[in-house]
Amino acid sequence: MAMALPRVFRTTPFRLTLLFLMVFAAAASIFLGYIYVVTAGAVTSRADQAITQEIQSLTGVYRQGGIKALNRSMVERAAGDRPFLYLLRDKTGQKITGTLEASPVRGFTGAPSSVNFKVTDTDPDGAEVRHSARGQQVQLVGGETLFVGADVSGAETFVLGILRAIWGAGALVILLGLAGGILISRNVNETMAGLNRVVIAVRGGDIAARAKLRGVNDEFDELASGLNDMLDRLERSMGGLRHVGDAIAHDLRSPLSRLRARLELALIEAEAGKGNAEAALVQALEDAEGVLATFNAVLAIARLQSAVEAPDQVRFDPGELAAGVAELYEPLCEDKAIEFKLEATPALAVRGNREFIAQALANILDNAVKYTPEGGAVRVRVRRRASGEVEFSVTDTGPGVPEPDRMRVVQRFVRLENSRSEPGAGLGLSLVAAVAEAHGGRLELDEGPGALNGSGPGLRVALVLPRLA
Amino acid sequence: MRILIVEDDVEAAGAMARGLAEAGIETVHAADGVLGLAAAQAGGFNVLVIDRMMPNMDGLTLVETLRREGDQTPVLFLSALGEIDDRVAGLKAGGDDYLVKPYAFAELSARVEALARRRETGSVQTMIKVGDLEMDLIGRVVHRQGKEIDLQPREFQLLEYLMRHAGQSVTRTMLLEKVWEYHFDPQTNVIDVHISRLRAKIDRGFDHPMLQTVRGAGYRLEA
Repeated sequence: MAMALPRVFRTTPFRLTLLFLMVFAAAASIFLGYIYVVTAGAVTSRADQAITQEIQSLTGVYRQGGIKALNRSMVERAAGDRPFLYLLRDKTGQKITGTLEASPVRGFTGAPSSVNFKVTDTDPDGAEVRHSARGQQVQLVGGETLFVGADVSGAETFVLGILRAIWGAGALVILLGLAGGILISRNVNETMAGLNRVVIAVRGGDIAARAKLRGVNDEFDELASGLNDMLDRLERSMGGLRHVGDAIAHDLRSPLSRLRARLELALIEAEAGKGNAEAALVQALEDAEGVLATFNAVLAIARLQSAVEAPDQVRFDPGELAAGVAELYEPLCEDKAIEFKLEATPALAVRGNREFIAQALANILDNAVKYTPEGGAVRVRVRRRASGEVEFSVTDTGPGVPEPDRMRVVQRFVRLENSRSEPGAGLGLSLVAAVAEAHGGRLELDEGPGALNGSGPGLRVALVLPRLA
Repeated sequence: MRILIVEDDVEAAGAMARGLAEAGIETVHAADGVLGLAAAQAGGFNVLVIDRMMPNMDGLTLVETLRREGDQTPVLFLSALGEIDDRVAGLKAGGDDYLVKPYAFAELSARVEALARRRETGSVQTMIKVGDLEMDLIGRVVHRQGKEIDLQPREFQLLEYLMRHAGQSVTRTMLLEKVWEYHFDPQTNVIDVHISRLRAKIDRGFDHPMLQTVRGAGYRLEA
């Protein structure tokens, strides 16, 4: 029952360990088998060689001295320290001499034949033991049969010893491997469980869940940071979408209720036969235009904020783009007796959405011209910073924005007290900030050049785009 | 002038027809893409005004089909989608202009007229004449009553556009799109300032002003 297994046995690393150990065990078995066959073969052939030599030696004695000499020699040899077993039998099969009682060879035809057999011996403790032995039998010229055997149990014990040692080592390796496998699985398992927890949390709706990095820069950390990165983008995108809804609801309610009130009032007055219906309609149409402009701006900002990056990015010359936008605003400056200057480093390159960046620059310039009093100055600069970033900056000599308010004016609908008399919905800089962010850049607000013609200290607004990759 | 409106919102189409009738434009309405395609294939329209999202067949497919069949009638796309990519997709499919909903009738009729006019002036011109105003497109010089008028390059482009659409209203948005090629709405009406400079150059010192302001719509160059 797979389900009854502890969790750790079901993990991929553990299964891989098991698979590896199985392959290892199979390879080890083949290896051991090979060693056994080779070693055992060597032992047998060495014994066969010794037996053949002994038989040759004995048949030599027989040829020279006949059966008597052979008998004597065998008796001598059996008494000596030669490691052989002997049996000499006459034509009828009766034992003449030897250390064996009967021949282990069955169905002897006269041709020399080899055989494996067992001998029973008594060990020093008096216990009976059976040893492996090997022997050969030949027929002598006079019809007698000569059998010479050798005890091979010593060599076999040696081979078996080697085998046991190797098996033992193998078993140890397998045990260690299993333990290692369990440890690795536990480790991997914990890491994966961490990642899984994040996935489950996100699936459950907690988009803010993040995986912990172990700080070892391995593939798990890579996966974790990839997952976190993906979630960051997703969260931003989802936040942006939610933001669109919130922004539209919040930002359009008040102008729409104003419009509604105006129409309602106009209707009441028209029914009463007083008031100026045409004027009310003109006013209502203007209100509707205002609502529409706000709607477009809010939507553009929210879409930029929810997009991971601005769409349709191309490489272009920022100086050229700035010249185009500046040209649009220059007559406005002249009408207001504002000194206008454009300084652009030629042949720079940036990547971005031309339309959005042009609009952002137009918004900055629009503000600059709007807030700079007559006789002031507006300067547009495009240059590359030492960091490689490209900045579009617009410096004016208007009242500027006090330091504590600078972060605030970028937010939607924030208009400073002294700007309430100017037209606009307070979305201009929010859009610039959204454009900057959608290009991986930023919006910077600083103090301008100081007081000029009784106004100042001015404002310096910079749209900074990242260097080309 | 006769135009085809392909729009599934019947009420909006009715309002559009009334608005365009005020401008002297005759309209025929088709309520979905398939009917619209059949009507367009029957021919006889100066301009096709086509909604992008409709049941049965969307506007893009309709225009792609017409263009494949060799129909070159100018197309103005109407869309509730205002993204840059949507406009690009519309123009790629064979549209000639793109207007985002909601729009002012003045904007719609000005654009329809501009499209219809564009059709009439097919051949390459070297000279444009409106009343006593003459523009030499090769030499890049402008004369009024024989007197040379000194224009900046952008003023020249602006005047060229106005002269090509002489007698028609052109809106500020149209000028911003066609002359400056910007598709955003500047907060301040920068176009007015450019127009007043151009006006000072072509009208000051002459017996009658040519560059008229059309209330609620934009501008018109009259002979």
